[in-house]
Order: sequence, then structure tokens, then C-alpha cells
Amino acid sequence: MTAGAEGSGSGSGPAPAGARAPRRPVPWPALVLWLCLPFAQAGASERGIVVVDDRGRSVELAEPAQRIVSLAPHLTELLFAVGAADRLVATVAHADFPAAAREIPRIGTATQLDLERLMAARPDLIIAWDSGSPRAPLERLEHLGLTIYYSEPSDFGGIGKDLRRLGRLTGSDDLAERAAKDFEDAIDALRARYADRPPVTIFYQVWDQPLMTVNDAHLIGEAIRLCGGRNVFGHLEVLVPRPGRETVLAADPEAIVSGGPGEDRPDWLEPWEHWTGLTAVRRDNLFFIPPSLIQRHTPRIAEGTRMLCEALETARSRRGPETPP
Amino acid sequence: MTAALRPRPAHSPLMVLGTLGIVAALSVLTSVMLGSVPLSPGEVRAVFLGQGSDLARMLILDLRLPRTLAAFATGGLLAVAGALMQVLLRNPLADPYVLGISGGAAVGALLAMISGLGLAWVSGSAFAGALLSTLIVFGLAHGTGSWTPTRLLLTGVVVAAGWGAVITFLLAVRPSPELPGMLYWLMGDLAHARGNALPWLTLFVIIALALPLGRSLNVLARGPLQAAVLGVPVRRLEWTVYLLAALVTAVAVTTAGTIGFVGLIIPHMLRLVIGNDQRLLLPASALAGGILLTLADTLARTIIAPEQLPVGVITAMLGVPVFLFLLYRSRT
Repeated sequence: MTAGAEGSGSGSGPAPAGARAPRRPVPWPALVLWLCLPFAQAGASERGIVVVDDRGRSVELAEPAQRIVSLAPHLTELLFAVGAADRLVATVAHADFPAAAREIPRIGTATQLDLERLMAARPDLIIAWDSGSPRAPLERLEHLGLTIYYSEPSDFGGIGKDLRRLGRLTGSDDLAERAAKDFEDAIDALRARYADRPPVTIFYQVWDQPLMTVNDAHLIGEAIRLCGGRNVFGHLEVLVPRPGRETVLAADPEAIVSGGPGEDRPDWLEPWEHWTGLTAVRRDNLFFIPPSLIQRHTPRIAEGTRMLCEALETARSRRGPETPP
Repeated sequence: MTAALRPRPAHSPLMVLGTLGIVAALSVLTSVMLGSVPLSPGEVRAVFLGQGSDLARMLILDLRLPRTLAAFATGGLLAVAGALMQVLLRNPLADPYVLGISGGAAVGALLAMISGLGLAWVSGSAFAGALLSTLIVFGLAHGTGSWTPTRLLLTGVVVAAGWGAVITFLLAVRPSPELPGMLYWLMGDLAHARGNALPWLTLFVIIALALPLGRSLNVLARGPLQAAVLGVPVRRLEWTVYLLAALVTAVAVTTAGTIGFVGLIIPHMLRLVIGNDQRLLLPASALAGGILLTLADTLARTIIAPEQLPVGVITAMLGVPVFLFLLYRSRT
């Protein structure tokens, strides 16, 4: 493409009016070289780094990224996991894990970017969150020629995939491979141990007012299945449904597991205790899992999933000998 | 009718427009100079002379200038639309959104976002929604029987309320990942505005079309009866003004979302200062609206950088005290 633009720009300049252009020999060698340019470029990109992102676009870099900007907290975590932390030049608000991430300069929030500071960071690679990052500013950045990798790890497999691809883009394949392998081994171990345990019906509470949960297509839904749980709202079509309190009571889950606005057990779980008729309340199966361990799509979700599996195992242990599942 | 609404040749048009023009140029310059990444005046000058570092060039030519120009044109469009609506409805509370145009645009944009369509589709869909709303109001208010601005106003307000309900419904049943972006769009956000000639083109066209109508509009502002007596084709003029104002609002909303307050307050402010001669008021509104929105957007993107405020907050915070001061002074 560049070759074509240059060719048309310099090849046939307008001849001065009236002047008879002297007949020059056709520059065959130059022409042949020019025709070969596209192939030469294709060859060059094969030698560089090419990965396909979660949008299905291919992202190309001539060499491993040296100045990376991450546009979401979980993406910053992924970059730390593959050992690219020292090349992270900017990230967004709430990127707080690991602790060193707090020191990275900020360029806005996950949903609102300060384009000026982003450009001033001079990134050679931007890692964007496909469903969360604002689209219009990113399209403009693409237009300005910046390289963007769109990430959307929507299941356990996606996290491993993204780790490896980010490792490839940042030139740390080995570390990324190890991080991905460790994560997948941890998940496989949990699956082997819990997936076929007797099912426990569960309501997972993302938020309190309005009441929000997840369906089976969500990563947390996948975690619930892996632990041998059955999400009472798993069949709903919306990824993050907002059920009424009455619907939850009617579904009568055996366990209620909640995230929270912060890392401590929220007071969201208390209102449930008024309904002593609920199975989950009667058996004291109200659990809390820190949201950063299960709501962020990072390797740490293996830890959150382990806590979830243990919570459901506790719920199983509280079944009386005569109580039905 | 108060003294403020009567035409009064207090200031020479040349002086008014000249002053506003200078302030407009200064506001654009300020907007280009200021940003979350500090650039020295020397660096800015270098960019305009065709030099300067790559970064400075990108910041100014690719980010600040397109956004500044979009802000100025949008502000101008909203103020002109507001001025036209106030004359048309002969209601001081009229603003560009009162007849439901922004609601239609928001529903269009929201539907496109929920369907996961690209940005061009979101803009196109918003524009289509605005036009649809215009036609609905036009058709219903036109209907049978007698026609009055009150009827147009009532139709518009009820249609707007209907759109509001649809927006709330869509946001409730389909909480999409685009929600934060959508909310900023509903509050008005120039971050989405791209370098685009349409708002400017519309601004010039509307001024060119409306100025010849100025004399008739002056008469209309005093009441349809007087206008009819003086030989103004009232019905045709009113529909022309309605369609022009609607089109202008549609372009503004499509460019930057629903930015409140500019369209309401700028025409009133100018009336208090320069009188109610539409031939001067309309071009002056275009300039003053552009100035207000340009300055407001500059503040919105710098005050709490790297985060941004919705620009509507700033237009209100700048506009309310100035307007109240003028209103208070005009009584004495």
C-alpha cells in the first residue's frame, strides 16, 4: 500500500505544459523492483511478530513491544503475569495488582481515555479491552497508525490464549508459556476434583442494588460449572441479568455467593438472613469471594475458583443425611 | 412582552460581531493551547508553522484541533437552533431539545450500539432518529384542525417524554458493555466528535438561509397576528423555521450527543445585551454558542485530567451565573 502511494506520487509528475517531454528509456529494473515491493513487505512481516487478537484481527509488530499501554486493570495483570511489567509505560485507574502496578502512570479510566497523555506515552503497543474500552477513541488511534491488540478473555481457555499471545507480542514467550501452563494446570486440577461432585444450586451476586448476577456464558458461570455448581440464573440470555429479589427467593438456591464493591465481605449478604425459609440461609451457606479474585479475567481467577469450589464443598457437607440435594 | 424581547438597536452590528469574532478566535486558540499534556506556546506556534515534534503535531493537529472545531460548530448550531425555537414557540423555555429531537437521536444511537454496529452506523442511526422524531412531531402537530405553537410544543414535549421512556427501557433491559459510553453520549461528549465538515457546513448554510428571514422573524417574535397583519406568511414561515431548527439540532446531536444549556441560554443572554433583532441575533448566537462550548470543553478535558467531565456540567456552571447576572441587571 505504501509502495503504491509512493509510486503514484513520484512516478508520474505532471509534465510542464507545452514542453515536449524527452523520450526516456523505460526504467525496467526499477519497475521490476517496485512490482516486487509488496512481496518484500509480506516477507518482512513474516519475520516480525504476528498474532491474531480476540477480534480476529492480525496484530503485527516488527519487534517485541518496548512501550506498552494497558487499558484495563485485568490486562495490566496479564502483562505482569507474562513478565512485561518493565515495559508498561501507562495504564488506567484501578490497575492495582500486583502492588507495583500502582506506580505506573495513569491515562484515564477503563471507559474514558485521555488521548493526549496516551499519545505522549509514545506506545508501540496498546492492549485494549474489546468489550470495555471506548470504541471511538480507539478507532481514532488506529487511524493514527498505533498498534492495538484487542483482548477479550471470555473463558478459562481465553486467559491462557491471551497470556501466550501477549508473551509473543512482548517477546517473553517462555515466561508466558509457563504462566499459561500453571494457570491451565490449576484449573484442570479443580475440574478433575469438583466437576462431577453432586450438584449444588447457587446464586452468584455480582451487585446488590440493583441485584445483578451472571448467566452460564459468563466466566463466573463457567467457574460455577467447574465446581459442580448449578447457576439458578444460568439459562437467562443476558450475560449479566438483573433478577428481582422475589425470583431469587423462588429459585431457593442452596448457596448464595457474593462479590462486593471492595475486598471485604460486604453487608449485602445480611438482607438474605431475614428469609429464614431459604435453604442457603437455613444452612448458613452465604459465602463471599473477593471480587478481584473471580471477577477479573486474570490468572488469579484460579484462586477465586478454588475458593468457590471449596464454598460449594462446604455447602455439600452441610446437607443432612436425609436432605435431598 | 418584556423590554428584553423587543428589538432595540443598542449596539452596532459590526461592533457586536467583531467583538464576538475576536473572542471566538481567542477561545479556539486557548482550546488548542491547553490540554492534559502541557505544550509551550512556542511548540504550538511551531506546529502551525509546519514544524514541531511529531508528538506535538499529533496532539494539536489530530486531537485538539478537530475536537475544538467540532465543539465550536456544535455550540454555534445549538445556540442558533435555540434562538429559532424560542421565536417559533414564543416560549422563553424553549431549547433545541424541547421538541424531542435529541430523544429520537439518542434512541437511534442506542439501538445501533446495542446491535453492536460500528461508529458510522451509530452516527447515522442517531441522525435518522432525530429526523424521525422531527417528522412525527411535524405530522401530529400538523394534523387536522387549528394549529398553534402551543400545540406544536405540547406534541413535542410528549414525544420527548416518550423517547425518554424508550431510552430508560432500553438501558434497563439491555445493560450493554457500551453503557458508560452511552451515558456520556446522553450527557454530551465531544470525545466522540471527529474531524468532520458537516457541522461547519450546516452552520454556514443555516445562517445564510435564516438571515433573509430575519425581518419576518422579528415580526413573528411579536406574535402571529401582528405578523399576519403585516403580510408575513405565518404558517409557511413557522414550518420553515421548525424544519431548519430541527435539522440543525439533528446535526449537533449527532456530532456530540445531548449537550444541554447552550441552546437555552445563549440566545437569552444575547437578547439581554444586544436586543432581539434576529438579523443580528442569529449570527451572534452562532459565535457566542461556539465560544461557550469551546471554553467549556477545554475545561471539561483539563480540570480533572486524565479523567474528563461531561461538558454539559461546565456549560451550566459557566452559563448560569453569567445569565443570572444579566437577568438581574436588566430589571434595574
